[in-house]
Amino acid sequence: MRPATLFRLSTAGTRTDTLRTVLTGTSAALAGTVMLAAVTVAAVQGGEPLEQPDGTAWLAPGAEHYTSPLLREPGLRPGVIFGLLLLTLPVLALAGQCIRLGAPARDRRLAAIRLAGATPGQAVLIAVAETIVASILGSAAGLGIYLGLRRILHEPGPGGSLRLPTDVFPDPVPLVAALLAVPVLAGLIGLIMMRGVAVTPLGVIRRQRGRGPRPWPGLAIAVGILLFNVPVWLSDRMVLSGYVFGALMLAGAALVMVGVVVGTGWISYTAGWLLHRFGRGPVTLLAGRRMMADPWNGSRTLGALLGATVIGGAAMGYHALFVTQGRAEDRFSVLIGMPPDPEHAAFYVNATRLVLIAVGAGVAVSAAGMLVALAESVVSRRRTYAALTAAGTPGRTLAGTLLWQTLAPLVPALGLAVVSGLVLVRSLYHEVTVGGGTTETCTDPAADPDTCARTVQTDPVVTLPVPVPWEQLMLLCGGTVLTMLVVAGIGMLVLRGSTDLEEIRAV
Amino acid sequence: MTTPLLTATGITKDYGATPALRGVDVRVTEGEIVAVTGPSGCGKSTLLHCLSGILRADRGSVIFRDQDIGSWSEAARSRLRRTEFGVLFQFGQMVPELTAAENVGLPLLLAGSGRREARQAALDWLDRFGVADVADQMPGAMSGGQQQRCAVARAMVTRPRVLFADEPTGALDQLNGEQVMQAIVRTVREEGTSVVLVTHEAPVAAYADREIVLRDGAVDPTGLGVAAP
Ligand SMILES: Nc1ncnc2c1ncn2[C@@H]1O[C@H](COP(=O)(O)OP(=O)(O)OP(=O)(O)O)[C@@H](O)[C@H]1O
Ligand SMILES: [Mg+2]
Repeated sequence: MRPATLFRLSTAGTRTDTLRTVLTGTSAALAGTVMLAAVTVAAVQGGEPLEQPDGTAWLAPGAEHYTSPLLREPGLRPGVIFGLLLLTLPVLALAGQCIRLGAPARDRRLAAIRLAGATPGQAVLIAVAETIVASILGSAAGLGIYLGLRRILHEPGPGGSLRLPTDVFPDPVPLVAALLAVPVLAGLIGLIMMRGVAVTPLGVIRRQRGRGPRPWPGLAIAVGILLFNVPVWLSDRMVLSGYVFGALMLAGAALVMVGVVVGTGWISYTAGWLLHRFGRGPVTLLAGRRMMADPWNGSRTLGALLGATVIGGAAMGYHALFVTQGRAEDRFSVLIGMPPDPEHAAFYVNATRLVLIAVGAGVAVSAAGMLVALAESVVSRRRTYAALTAAGTPGRTLAGTLLWQTLAPLVPALGLAVVSGLVLVRSLYHEVTVGGGTTETCTDPAADPDTCARTVQTDPVVTLPVPVPWEQLMLLCGGTVLTMLVVAGIGMLVLRGSTDLEEIRAV
Repeated sequence: MTTPLLTATGITKDYGATPALRGVDVRVTEGEIVAVTGPSGCGKSTLLHCLSGILRADRGSVIFRDQDIGSWSEAARSRLRRTEFGVLFQFGQMVPELTAAENVGLPLLLAGSGRREARQAALDWLDRFGVADVADQMPGAMSGGQQQRCAVARAMVTRPRVLFADEPTGALDQLNGEQVMQAIVRTVREEGTSVVLVTHEAPVAAYADREIVLRDGAVDPTGLGVAAP
């Protein structure tokens, strides 16, 4: 196939195809902008402690003019980069979900192309090429947005202080890598999604899974939590390098995330089975069967949503920890007669708050992905809906089905995600202890410090339990459920348009 | 047998500038099978949709048991369609994720029956149409003929007074089409159901007691339809 042919075939289409391309491009632009921001933070230098030949300590120059410690402190910048990269995940999931938007019409077109003699590989290539082209354009737009934002947000304060790193420019290699990462990742996600779809000349048929997904993701979550705790347990017994420590904890957290994300399919299937088994009316029958037939519908973005919630749960756990830590230190200061230092704990509290804002953004983007998935699933089944309506099925029943279908897998999955995130943190810390240290001083302050008789003085101990942040967790879950309710509501509008009788006539 | 069950008078329906029906009169009596035939695009499907209350006519009235259903709300007409009427299309009416028995039992569940009751009735009806063996299969795993028999079972499971069928054998081969038609006719005779049967095939129209021929949105007074010798 010549590139020109590929281009022609992958850009042919209707208005929905245009919408899909635009949405793919937009999410790629968004992801590209965030990636470029991450690369820019990576380009910031300075702030590392150095030692002069004469023994005095000083900080490496280059970052001292940033107002935020997140940029100033070299120990925190990797966290910012990591957070920004995490934020691109739901955006990329959205881009990948868009490849299924307006799929029925495109599936028919692909089938026609297959009938005309294209191989299955070529058909998938045509479908994925569109995503890649759209996300390359999106990436380019992201570069434009990034350059524009640099200009707009460059506001030097008194003494040349800056709120954002608008004075550094990323190296060309990471810059290009960031720009290319979006199309490549979006193409990969698209490829994985097309993998479940057999492109045959008689139409594109989603491969049916013989039996429901297995519950092994639960195992992944359990092992992940264990792994997360191993370094703390080991470090009591042996010396661990910082890298091993971090790698084990990261692996544990990643395993939990993977378990939750992959577990959505199982949760969706099981919730469907329960609905089907124990539900009474037609609504639960329809919704339950639908969830069992395609438990993976929307699970890509549901996974991104849950990933964001795991992080949110963990961040809330840390937030509670830092707040308690601050309170314990204050109480300790009072006990030893020192003024409390408000700075220290406040800094970490602010950092976790930033993470929560990122989680909120992640939830919003994932909700957009869910909307695309829901609309796609309604539109692809519009003939069935139209026939049911013609046979007298009330719109209420179909809307109820949609609502169950959206919320029944979400609520338990959400619970699992939040609890996993919280357990990750709480397995490490469930109480905070400050003080208890000992100081030795000469009983007679005038005596020789090397030989004097000593008094051992023990500091008071403050131990506070870290409370479970119930209210915040409720807020996180409630907000997510509310967002999904809005998504289901918009899905119902799509449904109304899809019960039109005309759909029965469409072949 | 001559009590009028469904009487339509002066049915007119336009799609924008396209007139689809121009004053059609139809009378269906109790237990009668009426075929509606005519060339493609003459308005057969549109007439069926107006008679069954899926579409509202622009002018004219549709009287079912002394009530003008044209004036009813969408909800009331929906209720009518799942109780007193049965509808049957060419294809695409089975919910792909439900088994045959669940599909057939769905109208009963919508009417408020329990699961067990609905399943039992569904099995009985599947048996009447000779497809009891596919009761627990999904539509995707059934042949076109089996799917259509299940669809008929679903249309009949509520024991409707009128069955509206639009090209019910249109997607089937000749042998299968004949078998499905025979099963439909046998059952509606047993149940005393009236049928409005839209078709463009003479052998299908031949199953009817009476034939209405449409041309350009109006009844052809000569009545020379496809079933005429
Ligand atoms: N939604 C619509 N918008 C515009 N015109 C329509 C619409 N539906 C039907 N028509 C027109 O109304 C006329 C009657 O259509 P109808 O579907 O009732 O014909 P039919 O007799 O069932 O044809 P066929 O045998 O091909 O199914 C046709 O000219 C058709 O083009
Ligand atoms: Mg027709």
